[in-house]
Amino acid sequence: MGTAELIWNGVAAFLVMSIYSFLYKDNPFYKFAEHLVVGVSAGYFAMILYYNAFLPKLINPLRAGQYWYIIPGILGLLMWARFSQKWQWLSRPTLGFVIGSGAGVAIPLYLQNYVIRQVHATMLPIGFTSWPLITNVLIIIMVFCALAYFFFSKQHKGAFGAAATFGIWTLMVGFGAGFGMTVMGRVALLAERVVFLRDYFAQLWGALF
Amino acid sequence: MPIISSAELQIQSNNEFFPSNTNVKSNPFFKVLFLFLCFLLIDSPLSFAAEDLSESWFNPNRLNMLIFLILFFAVIIYFIQRAKKGKSLFIRRIAGLDAIEEAVGRATEMGRPVLFVPGIEDVNQIQTVAAMIILGNVAKMVADYDTPLFVPICRPFVVPVAEERVKEGYAAAGRPDAYNRDNVRYISDEQFAYAAGVQGIMLRDRPMANLMFGSFFAESLMLAETGFLTGAIQVAGTANIHQLPFFVVACDYTIIGEELFATSAYLSKEPKLLGSLKGSDLAKAIIIGILALGAILETLGITQFTRWFFIE
Amino acid sequence: MRREIPIAICFLVGISFILEYFIPHEDVLSIFETIRQWAIIVIAFAYVLGIANLVRINSHVIQRKGRDWPYKIILVVSLFFMITVGIIFDIFGIRLGGIGEGTIFGWVYFHAQYPLQATMFSLLAFFIASAAFRAFRIRTFQASLLAVTAILVMIGRVPVGESLWADFPDFIEWIMNVPQLAGKRAIMIGAALGAISTALKVLTGLERTYLGGE
Repeated sequence: MGTAELIWNGVAAFLVMSIYSFLYKDNPFYKFAEHLVVGVSAGYFAMILYYNAFLPKLINPLRAGQYWYIIPGILGLLMWARFSQKWQWLSRPTLGFVIGSGAGVAIPLYLQNYVIRQVHATMLPIGFTSWPLITNVLIIIMVFCALAYFFFSKQHKGAFGAAATFGIWTLMVGFGAGFGMTVMGRVALLAERVVFLRDYFAQLWGALF
Repeated sequence: MPIISSAELQIQSNNEFFPSNTNVKSNPFFKVLFLFLCFLLIDSPLSFAAEDLSESWFNPNRLNMLIFLILFFAVIIYFIQRAKKGKSLFIRRIAGLDAIEEAVGRATEMGRPVLFVPGIEDVNQIQTVAAMIILGNVAKMVADYDTPLFVPICRPFVVPVAEERVKEGYAAAGRPDAYNRDNVRYISDEQFAYAAGVQGIMLRDRPMANLMFGSFFAESLMLAETGFLTGAIQVAGTANIHQLPFFVVACDYTIIGEELFATSAYLSKEPKLLGSLKGSDLAKAIIIGILALGAILETLGITQFTRWFFIE
Repeated sequence: MRREIPIAICFLVGISFILEYFIPHEDVLSIFETIRQWAIIVIAFAYVLGIANLVRINSHVIQRKGRDWPYKIILVVSLFFMITVGIIFDIFGIRLGGIGEGTIFGWVYFHAQYPLQATMFSLLAFFIASAAFRAFRIRTFQASLLAVTAILVMIGRVPVGESLWADFPDFIEWIMNVPQLAGKRAIMIGAALGAISTALKVLTGLERTYLGGE
């Protein structure tokens, strides 16, 4: 490892340990690293947007004669009216455009992926003659009961209340399973950082001695 | 760990989809529903055969989606119109949402601020829109209590929307002078830089109430755990399924999935919003009926019905 | 009109994107792809608002010498440093300017930002351990369901689980494929209905919160 690389990796190692110092308590090293990451990432995103959005999607098409791209340019400039108290209202059409596009894209997407596909996948043959059929019965009952929990306009009383209660138990089992599945993945992230620190200090030791 | 209670709060006394004197045979809604279900027993025209649709003005394979979309819209709009006519609507108690006011009150007693985290996605995501709606209600609450409200933002486009919501909330409470623009702060677009910034606010400003509503990803656990360390009351709500376990474990109250979208109706008690909630409930009831029917027909080997729900 | 026009724009744009889902005509699809690019451009313009907000708030703290004001200087300086080396250097053709490998911007990204981000992400290992410790202090039946399931899944996913009971992995698979799947589906269906309902209210102007007051 060259000297420059050793120095740069040393900076990285220092920042890694500054973040880990948070686990003890808030301290100047953590504050330094936190403010640095916020400033650097804000600047990073500004550059990514400039080179990946502003230049190729606005400036280059305008230079190529696609003058209809002036429309998003105007909509974008109207957002800058927010800097003036008097002219802030000029940003509303742009807000309407962005929010409307998001809502319009979301409606068929959510209906397709999170309603119809899920309903189709839950329409399973049922029975008690084999374990797969019994499993299907359990899935359908659990889906019914969990859906019953999300009823807002009906009191959770009597049989309906019992179904809703079973539904929340189903949800809790699901959450426990999700939690358990994630633990290993998170530990792997820590292992990767520990390996980085180990390798850096091994190389630093080798370079110094 | 949330105490998810099944106790109900009756805002109004009517808890039925239709008046108690509804005659099922003559009610037009049930007639349409019956005809619709019979229609679904006809073999689906959706073929999904490979064909070039680039010159077509309608994708026939999405006919089922169009039908379901129109049906769902009709149900929602029907109940909104019904609510506008002054029909009383019941909504069950949601413990986590009742806890918001309790949390704000506790923050006021302790002389500490309230932190509202609206998730990390942009304003074109519907969960962020829902979070902004809730923010307005919370802003009115904190204005009533005269408690500082901090709103750290992850996406720049959310900043003007959040500013407007908070300003409106203070104005609705009759305290427009108390609005402080600097309390709505952009942190960073980057997920973990944002989490670091919010953790910093939690550690140094020591909010007593952390309200986290919207779309969250891996940073959800970081924020919830840091908030726990500072001793804040935490109410979180998201529709991101993979983050719900962490909120359930780390927060005092968790708003699960659809409850996030019901929050605005619950907090504002506005009849039109409650009406749309009722429409959603009817849609869920229809889905349960369809699931039951589909399972029975699949068991009998009749597949025409389920083919209507297949999407390529 | 200050509110009606934005609501009308929201409605028209939203309905158009809904219709796009059903129209496979390639000319229509290319128009909508262009409009999607417009949304990205508009969001890029809004980034200036975010930077201005960041600089304004931190500058106030620096001016007043408020709490942690030296760190706010680091924040603002690092922000402008990245913008300077990323754009200004590139525009003026200064060596090592621009973005990408071999530039100052690239070095700062690989040796500062990336390690900081990865380290923040790795903190989750500690947070999940602390959350698990609290979760396993069972106080209600619902909490016990969550805790027991989590423990079973954790044990089942490591070799010791299989050595305790040969069918442990299959049991965990069953938990994932039956109760976890059922709960997930119910949440998805409910949340999607809520989201569609909210989107519909936004498009029809029933929810006009994004507009603010008059």
